[in-house]
Amino acid sequence: MKLPKKWLCEYVDFNVSDEEFVERMMWRGFELAAIEKELPEVFGVITGRILKLEQHPNADRLKVCQVDLGDKVTQILTNATNVFEGAIVPVAYLGAKIKDMTFSAANIRGVDSYGMFCSGKEFNLTNAEYPNAEDDGILILRDDTPLGEDIAKVLEKDDIIFDFDLTPNRPDCNSIIGLCREAAAALGQTMREPVIKHYGGSGTALARVSVQNPTLCPRYCGRVVTNIKIEPSPLWMQRRLRSVGLRPINNIVDITNYVLVEYGHPMHAFDLSCIADSHIVVRNAEKDELVTTLDEKQHRMDEDMLLIADPQKGVGIAGVMGGLNSEITEKTKDVFFESAVFIGSNIRRTSRKLHQSTDAALRFIKGVEPVNAFLALERAVELVTLLNAGTVVGEVIDVCSANTSERSVLVDVAHINSLLNLNLSGESMLGLLNTIHIRGSVEGEKLRLSIPHYRTDIESGIEADWDIAEEVGRLYGYQNIPAELMTGATFRGSIAPQFRDEDLIKDTLVGLGCLEMYNINFTSPSALNTLKFDKDDERMLAVKLLNPFGEEQSLMRTNLYSGMLDTCVRNVNHKTGHGRFMEVGNVHFDNNLTLPEERRMIGLMFFNENESFFTLKGAIIRLCEAFHIRNLRFVKGGAPLFQPGRKSLVYCGERLIGEFGQVHPDVLDAYGLNTPVYLAELSFEALTGCKPAALAYAPIPRFPLVSRDLAVVVDEGVEAQSLVDVIANTETALLIENVRLFDVYRGAGVKSGMKNLAFSFTLRAEDHTLTEDEIRTAFESIIAELEKNGAPLRK
Amino acid sequence: MESLEEIRREFLARLDQIRSESDLNELNQEVFGKSGRLTAILRTMGQLSKEHRAAMGAAVNEVKRELEQRVLERRAELKKRAQELRFLRDALDVTEPADFSLPRGSLHPMTQTYREIRNALVGMGFSMFDGPEIELDDNNFTLLNLPLDHPARDMQDTFYINNKVLLRTHTSPCEIRALQTVKPPFRLIMPGRVFRVDEVDATHHPVFMQIEGFVVDKNLNIANLKGTLDSFVHAVFGDNVKTRLRPSYFPFTEPSAELDISCTICGGSGCRVCKGTGWIEILGCGVTNPHEIMNCGYDPMEWRGIAFGVGVDRMASLKYGISDVRLEYENDARFLRQF
Repeated sequence: MKLPKKWLCEYVDFNVSDEEFVERMMWRGFELAAIEKELPEVFGVITGRILKLEQHPNADRLKVCQVDLGDKVTQILTNATNVFEGAIVPVAYLGAKIKDMTFSAANIRGVDSYGMFCSGKEFNLTNAEYPNAEDDGILILRDDTPLGEDIAKVLEKDDIIFDFDLTPNRPDCNSIIGLCREAAAALGQTMREPVIKHYGGSGTALARVSVQNPTLCPRYCGRVVTNIKIEPSPLWMQRRLRSVGLRPINNIVDITNYVLVEYGHPMHAFDLSCIADSHIVVRNAEKDELVTTLDEKQHRMDEDMLLIADPQKGVGIAGVMGGLNSEITEKTKDVFFESAVFIGSNIRRTSRKLHQSTDAALRFIKGVEPVNAFLALERAVELVTLLNAGTVVGEVIDVCSANTSERSVLVDVAHINSLLNLNLSGESMLGLLNTIHIRGSVEGEKLRLSIPHYRTDIESGIEADWDIAEEVGRLYGYQNIPAELMTGATFRGSIAPQFRDEDLIKDTLVGLGCLEMYNINFTSPSALNTLKFDKDDERMLAVKLLNPFGEEQSLMRTNLYSGMLDTCVRNVNHKTGHGRFMEVGNVHFDNNLTLPEERRMIGLMFFNENESFFTLKGAIIRLCEAFHIRNLRFVKGGAPLFQPGRKSLVYCGERLIGEFGQVHPDVLDAYGLNTPVYLAELSFEALTGCKPAALAYAPIPRFPLVSRDLAVVVDEGVEAQSLVDVIANTETALLIENVRLFDVYRGAGVKSGMKNLAFSFTLRAEDHTLTEDEIRTAFESIIAELEKNGAPLRK
Repeated sequence: MESLEEIRREFLARLDQIRSESDLNELNQEVFGKSGRLTAILRTMGQLSKEHRAAMGAAVNEVKRELEQRVLERRAELKKRAQELRFLRDALDVTEPADFSLPRGSLHPMTQTYREIRNALVGMGFSMFDGPEIELDDNNFTLLNLPLDHPARDMQDTFYINNKVLLRTHTSPCEIRALQTVKPPFRLIMPGRVFRVDEVDATHHPVFMQIEGFVVDKNLNIANLKGTLDSFVHAVFGDNVKTRLRPSYFPFTEPSAELDISCTICGGSGCRVCKGTGWIEILGCGVTNPHEIMNCGYDPMEWRGIAFGVGVDRMASLKYGISDVRLEYENDARFLRQF
């Protein structure tokens, strides 16, 4: 809400600095959005008198002027033809700024110039504001203008406009009067409340109003004005409208806008001749009833929407916009002013359904109240009379089912004190509340308060104590309430296990060289198709957004892959040189329950020349080891987004915890990638669910271990792990502690279709040092077992 | 027969010339060995008279001790010199590049900021609570005192799944879930992603992260809110940061407030980030609205809440001076590596 300082000063004396005022308003809940000058983007332009005007020696079109700036004389070149000796003009002298231009000394064809003369255009000046301001050429100022004066002051455009952010609970302050009430309290003054003079019209009202739905329209006030003279509004009104950012149009439109700004109540003016039978009917629209609004848009209405109609047709959408068929035009003779209360929730729905958001609708949505509706109409009629814009006819037409009597609330002093941690007496609270016109008396432990009509945010029910506590708090000043730590019950703070697990996952992966990604949760149908999921894969069951930004972000992600690949593309394109990334994030599945299923997933992405299927496998194993999960199994398989033969499922015992692999070339093509990418997705819940409940210490072995190597030749198709299992499970009297495949060889010396696998294993006895005989026996039984399983020792 | 003194002098002279340990061993052998020169003298001692023998023995032993001591010293010197030579040969150019088996990983700045906030609050007795990203309209709005068509719903533009289900616009629905499942009194923090229909620009993103703090107890008040927030801000931004609690409005708190901190960029003198005010808003908070407490089945005259919601993205931006929130979701390694 914009509050021009000059307008404010009509109601209060501005007795502090601008900064002090802004700070006081801030402490009362009114945060400054901006502070503007009435004449924005013009700095340092001053008045000067042209003392002497001569022809430029080397330029036909230029004149050389000696200009008296009050405290000095300077030289300025101009090509203007309307300047003359003795003229007083606006001068953008050295250092002055207009918009983005800063003026400095210049030399034009051998003559120095120290600035520029300004035209009316530079100040967006109209003829109404200053004589001949819209003429071509330099603005010639009145002869009694002092020299060296700031141009904003000379043009009476030197106001300062405070722009405050309003919170939705204070629609009353979305008006000059409302905001001035708060400003007066902030300045420690009593506001000079405006008094509206009532004008009784001659004769009887020439219009009738019927409200068929009083629930949605609790008050409808109207007034007829005849013999309208449409003309520009007076300069003072134009100035005020401009100062709050509104463009003057004509006296009737300007009056409704002025009242809107001043009282915060939206009004509408109909051309009475366009209202059949001069009868306004407020009713619900019929299904598919068509109304064309002032902006020439046609709207299809439904039965929930409120219509302003005459007995034949709709003439406006209640609270949203007037109809084109009853618009005020130059030919308008008689006007019907409407000032009504429409229920915000209904207007909000209508406005949303019709995609028609107007300033009026926003005001109704935020809430208006019946007393102010009446005052606004009275003020409009007063202005019509003051501006001599027409003849007021009859009395106010007022269809009112709203309760307009003063509300009173009873609040508990001790309760308010305890909410604020204060110890104020009831009288002190009253003293604070009086400054914002909430008056009342102390009744024992309670305060009986009467609430001004415009404070619709203060409830009468259970919330009253809290509402009044909020008022007392901000008037007393939060800055004056000392901070205190919480007392009462004591608590053992803790990080819940799932959050600690998440920390461990991230920390482990960071230790493995991963950068952490935050990919967004949206995906698209085409991204799911690109990833080749089977039709019946649950990852096709994406949750759809009703109102997405677009197709590309229309689904909630069912997997982390597409987000990771997007990140891959950005990093490859920018050659960032990093190839290890990880993410922990949620995916969702539409499982036909009220709330979709949410699962937390761990994503891993490896992609540069140092990476392979097996570096990713290693990271997965290390991650599991961080949770002391050791019994991992890797089984061929995984989603179709991976290249066949290069993908694996990860099991811990019998539990599937995820999958990983090398991304299918088709998928890479779709993303425009031509470097191999390895992705993994693990279930947070499955992985963390596999960790042992408790760790138990195993004694450190006391006797030495013995290492042996052996190599076997097997079919290409034999999986290394199967032979590791054979060795590890061989029955010997000794402990086989560890088996490891350390080399795979294909080529010279090994038949094609076969491979040579070299294993290293360690043996140990728990209770003695191994003898050569024991080692030999164990070794032989391992070889025998391997041979039995089709893996003969390499000859 | 050479004299003891001759042996001594020659030994010492040669000792000085020796450059290697093997030469030293040779010299040692020549003098002290079985057929060594000093051994030869000792061997002749049997021919001497008793008195001479004792005197001679003492003299030989003294020389022997001296020379042996010198040999020890010389041996240490040689060893040291050999080591120095080896060190010289083995010296490295320390400016050559390091050898890494892994690249350097890092936590996202938001994760780091989230952990700092969390750790500060856990230290103040808060525990953790989790809620879903896709929520019921009831939990996100209605039960928080934002009934259907309440104007304040427009403060947060919402992604809907259907007319009852939406992407949570804040972490406050966790308050409802906590009140429904955890027995008060409690102190909880609830972190998570939230969603709003905001076109992406330097300060807006449709997905961002919040941490909700929610305390329910018998005698909470505005002063407690101030105290709690002050402690937490100082833990995250340091003791020199000033705070101010300023009245505001939220439907789910009353009284409501916003917390400003003195600008972390300019220290309060005014800059572009704080728009010249010296202050930056970092969170919304307040005493829980009695309707919310009642909606969850508790008596607001008995149980009171204080609550606050912190934007983690914003805190991270302030902490690290990140001027464009988009960077936080683009996952560019050149950005992520800086943290």
